[in-house]
Amino acid sequence: MSSFIIKRSRSRSLLLWQTHGIRIRSILFSSYNSLSNPSDSTDSVSASGFSSFSTRSFKTTAFGFKFSHLNQKFGDLAYSGGSNLVSTTRSLSSEAVAVAATCDGLTVERIIANQWPILDENESDWKSHAAAISQSIQVIKRRLQWKKLLVRLKVLSAELNKPDLWNDPTHAGKISREHGSLAGKMKGVMTFERELLEHIDMLKLAKEENDSELESETLKALMEMRRVSKEKELEALLSAENDSCSCYIEVQAGAGGTESNDWASMVMEMYKTWAQRRKFSVTVVDEMPGEMAGIKRATIKVNGEYAYGYAKAEVGVHRLVRISPFDSGKRRHTSFAAVAVIPILGDGSTRVQINDSDLRIERFRSGGAGGQHANTTDSAVRIIHVPTGITATCQNERSQHMNKASAMAVLQSRLDQLEMARQTAMNAQHTQSLTEISWGNQIRTYVLHPYRMVKDLRTNYEVSDPDSVLEGDLDGFILSFLSSSLDKGDEER
Amino acid sequence: MIRIFPSLRFTSLLSAAKPLCSVACSSSPVREPPQRASFAEAKSAPASNSLSITPKSPLFLRTPSHATPLSEVWKWHDWAKDLASSVEVSSSNSEYSLDSAILLRELKWLIEDSIVDDQLVIHKREIANDSESVKLRASLEELYDLWRQRIEKRRPFQYVVGCEHWRDLVLCVEEGVLIPRPETELIVDMVEELVTRDDWFKNGVWADLGTGSGAIAIGVAKVLGGRGRVIATDLSPVAIAVAGNNVQRYSLQGMIEVREGSWFEPLKDVEGKLVGLVSNPPYIPSDDIPGLQAEVGRHEPKLALDGGIDGTDSLIQLCHGASRMLKRGGFFAFETNGEKQSKMIVDYMTSDHQNSFSDLKIVSDFAGIGRFVTGFRL
Repeated sequence: MSSFIIKRSRSRSLLLWQTHGIRIRSILFSSYNSLSNPSDSTDSVSASGFSSFSTRSFKTTAFGFKFSHLNQKFGDLAYSGGSNLVSTTRSLSSEAVAVAATCDGLTVERIIANQWPILDENESDWKSHAAAISQSIQVIKRRLQWKKLLVRLKVLSAELNKPDLWNDPTHAGKISREHGSLAGKMKGVMTFERELLEHIDMLKLAKEENDSELESETLKALMEMRRVSKEKELEALLSAENDSCSCYIEVQAGAGGTESNDWASMVMEMYKTWAQRRKFSVTVVDEMPGEMAGIKRATIKVNGEYAYGYAKAEVGVHRLVRISPFDSGKRRHTSFAAVAVIPILGDGSTRVQINDSDLRIERFRSGGAGGQHANTTDSAVRIIHVPTGITATCQNERSQHMNKASAMAVLQSRLDQLEMARQTAMNAQHTQSLTEISWGNQIRTYVLHPYRMVKDLRTNYEVSDPDSVLEGDLDGFILSFLSSSLDKGDEER
Repeated sequence: MIRIFPSLRFTSLLSAAKPLCSVACSSSPVREPPQRASFAEAKSAPASNSLSITPKSPLFLRTPSHATPLSEVWKWHDWAKDLASSVEVSSSNSEYSLDSAILLRELKWLIEDSIVDDQLVIHKREIANDSESVKLRASLEELYDLWRQRIEKRRPFQYVVGCEHWRDLVLCVEEGVLIPRPETELIVDMVEELVTRDDWFKNGVWADLGTGSGAIAIGVAKVLGGRGRVIATDLSPVAIAVAGNNVQRYSLQGMIEVREGSWFEPLKDVEGKLVGLVSNPPYIPSDDIPGLQAEVGRHEPKLALDGGIDGTDSLIQLCHGASRMLKRGGFFAFETNGEKQSKMIVDYMTSDHQNSFSDLKIVSDFAGIGRFVTGFRL
């Protein structure tokens, strides 16, 4: 990894060198100056709480190290930087711990602290852009749970450095995969951060030298960064481990007969249309119809990138208040439907091994002599995982073989989820399956009478047009929940 | 949802064929010659006869040439739904009556097979535009007719759409050919398990007797992985034509040979050379035939169902043949009427063919019924 970083920073620097050869030298000087100013560097370090040790190493890699041949003055710095680099990349996460700064010591933290007013995007005021981008970076870091990432990365790096790591190749593979993905995630943000500061440096330089062409180019680049940063904020909402997976959505009707069965099917319809709007593909895996109308319970498979990341925001109990069309007395009814969301883990992740001998496979609705006696298109099967008692049913495929395969996939995901919940205490509410959802865990209320409103009880996000929500316009609820759950109660400043 | 179109050339040829003959096939029970006396004695039809039979084109392979306004399709869909939902009230015999939940699912599949464009259009009225039209693979009149046949005449859904999804296959079926049952998929599972365990079975010759649509033969050929050979036999010229067609659709002509004739008759050249023998022979006792579920009794070929007085006529023949045709160590699996018949067959094989077979086993289907007899040639 260390060689990769060096290469990257080299190509970056060389590029700068080629285009603005003369200016680089002045940046280097000022960078050296700022480094040699002890109060400045300790300041930026203490502000963010990172070790000064690695800060220095970062700065030297970025600026000094590569150019050590340029000026004898950098000799010391370059060597110490080089040795620091080696030790830091080995022991922890070279880059992750470093704080990027401009030549005059401006950091993202400081930009925010300066509270520069954020103006409209079209105003060509670099401070406004910088402030907006810095805020986004802060939001992104918060959503990624930056501090936790740092700690985790340290743990992983320590693990990776153990000499006996590869004695257990599966474990080693898992560790190095996670390390790679974390490091990649963090690197993306840090690169973005550094880009911002480099642009600022460039801009100041351009002003100093009255190079209006460069100035406007840099401003344009800042504006573009500002746009990209908004996208990155959204992406950061879906950065949890299995967010990119496809998923199953299950809806179960609460007590209350036909009215609540009807509500369950309305909820299911809502998800089907929502998924279609998001261009996810939807297949019904299992559906148990109610006696009169609606469904008692149903499972759909939602295929597409980030299906789980979005849908997990819907886990919980959904409550409906309306005048029931099934009540001849036209009374107001309250009904409930529970929603569970199960990620479908990719091939890369470790999945629970299922022993064939642990399974019991049954024809779902058997009876009669079967075989040649019966001609039915119903070939549903139920698979029971005996040790856990977990079952899965599929009845919507056209052959028994496919029903079985499809039910196996559901069973696999349920067992994976169970295992995930067991292994990690991660975000307990997303890993609950239907049977575990307590009916008290209400997340949203849909009122059709006496007034009309849908309100999320977790975020207080509300909409006065229930029809649009029931037709699948859920993104407002989902995004507000995701951002509130990631943005609240966090320690990252 | 897996649908395979192995041979485009053949598909287009098929789609030129005329639509399903609906009236003749369904207005009265399929007339079958009083065949069940003895299959061995029945003469195999001359080869030219079976060649002249052109298999019908299933709905899903036809050309989508019927542009139809969406509103008309919705009207049909509403009508079909109402018809499906109203069945429970009218029918009396509970065990074999129609079930609207299942009918509604069949309706969904019928739409899946007949509409080319995203079949979601049918469920998304609010989103779609009224003036739009969709391409159907059958005229709306025919769809009305087909659905009426399904419900009023109890014509099996698989004959209505002309195909049966079986394992991961989509097999063409039509009147005159038994619709492969879900239980029978397990025969292929057993063969698959066997050949993954022991390569010997992969390279040899297998036989599927009374192949019907060719289901087991195609399933077995696929799990053999391109190395072995399968010979599929049937007495019925319609079955021969349909099986041949299915084999061709899966491009397995190189592996599967379809031969017309009764049981082992067409297999004289491979006597004692088979590594595997599988069959789903007719096994329903003759007395049970009149009381069968309407879809089966009125529409499916008795030739493929009626197994004689106690239902074991064909099975006994298979037992004899198994000892003669199989190599030492060869495997067989036969489907039976259930526990009682399976026991009879096992008893028969242990007493009358004492030193011929080993590891005789009764294997249950997913409903827990002892459905199959399996074993090895000593």
